[in-house]
Amino acid sequence: MPDNWGFVAAAYVITAVVLGVYWARLVRREKALAHRKPGRTRS
Amino acid sequence: MSFARRAFVVAWKDVLVERRSKETLNALAFFALLLLFVFQFALGPDRERLTGVLPGVLWLGFILSGLLALGRTFLVERDHDCWEGLLLAPGDKSAIYVGKLMGNLALMALVDTLVLGLFVVFFDIDVGHAFPGLVLVVALGTVGLAAVGTLFAAMTAHVRAREVLFPVLLLPVQVPVLLAAVKATEALLLGEPLAGVAHWIQLLAAADVIYVAVGVLTFDAILEG
Amino acid sequence: MAVRALGILSAVGLLVGLVMAFGVAPRETTQGNVQRIMYVHPPLAWVSYLAFVVVAVASVAYLVRRRPAADRVAHASAEVGVVFTGLAIATGSIWGKPTWGTWWTWDARLTSVAILFVMYLGYLLLRGTVEDRERAARYCAVLGIVAALDMPLVHFSVYWWRTLHQPPSLMKPGGFTGSSAILWPLLVNVGAFTVLYAYLLAKRVRLLRAEAEEAFA
Repeated sequence: MPDNWGFVAAAYVITAVVLGVYWARLVRREKALAHRKPGRTRS
Repeated sequence: MSFARRAFVVAWKDVLVERRSKETLNALAFFALLLLFVFQFALGPDRERLTGVLPGVLWLGFILSGLLALGRTFLVERDHDCWEGLLLAPGDKSAIYVGKLMGNLALMALVDTLVLGLFVVFFDIDVGHAFPGLVLVVALGTVGLAAVGTLFAAMTAHVRAREVLFPVLLLPVQVPVLLAAVKATEALLLGEPLAGVAHWIQLLAAADVIYVAVGVLTFDAILEG
Repeated sequence: MAVRALGILSAVGLLVGLVMAFGVAPRETTQGNVQRIMYVHPPLAWVSYLAFVVVAVASVAYLVRRRPAADRVAHASAEVGVVFTGLAIATGSIWGKPTWGTWWTWDARLTSVAILFVMYLGYLLLRGTVEDRERAARYCAVLGIVAALDMPLVHFSVYWWRTLHQPPSLMKPGGFTGSSAILWPLLVNVGAFTVLYAYLLAKRVRLLRAEAEEAFA
């Protein structure tokens, strides 16, 4: 059976990228909110 | 007024409104006829291929007409400024849900009979012994469609893009009903006895119970504002 | 900060899981190294279902008590859940191509996850479409409950649809031989992705609360 490393890489990379982008979006929005209202976002 | 009586009043009001204007029923009947043409043109004259997909196409007919009919459940109230009347109705608002559901079931019964009749005639389906089982499957499937449809119709009545959002929300939820109904219909039309499709029937019945129960329990929350 | 701790824990967990998926787990005999995708696909699918259960429970909690926090959890879980579900489908599809020769097949598992995905999308669409926040919370709660109760029905109907007149597909994803070298990396990754879900959920809820506070400030 061929190893199909390309597929394995694709699966792992896509997972990492999508989750990473989503996480980065959350971080960015939190920072933006913190900027507008200093001291109100820390729970 | 008891719960049952209030539900009945709502259903009867809808029946009367429809009897006077006949707009919905006429339009749906015409739509059913048009669907027949559309399916025939889309699927071509090849009889072999047609018989294979007939159960699915039949249920497509039920679902498409159902989407149109159910989506309009609360339009009368919305368009004629009667929405507050619903909100201010005394007592348990789920009576309104049950009433609307009964009205929808009556409407769907008529439409489904028409669709089935047209299909049997135009696609030359031999229903025969399968008829009682078929009626059961169609009834159970329609209850499932109407139960969630009535609930979602209330939810989407005031939303922009209601016409799109209603089917978009309803169709995924209806997947089990669609699968069960089509498979059961297919088996029945091939001569399978009712016992052979018992699992599908049970699934449909379970779905119906769950949907109606959730509808009754959550309708109050939909009508709060 | 609990959220920060969750973040660190998930990062560590994912790293360990990654190492185990490639370092500890052996090269599978029948499928070759493609099987290593099975260290991310089932964990992602598991979290997809978990997130949906959370949406349902939070929705019930909201309808019963009307606490905004419950609504925020439902909303956040739906958003995080849709990301995981999309990834579950994508990785399942990527695994399927070399294994079954096709990018998509209507087998029971993939179909169920696809329907779950569509339900998530419907939930988020409803969220976005209803303008009044309190109304949106109520409507989405009802939708969340209906959809969640529907999922068992979806499961059975799809499974029967696929298996009653056909033999089950030859390689069931996630079916392992029982060797611990395969089991442990899988479990570690399931745990790691679950912690990651909890972390992203916490962040999203916190963001929602901050946005809500800003709107009323």
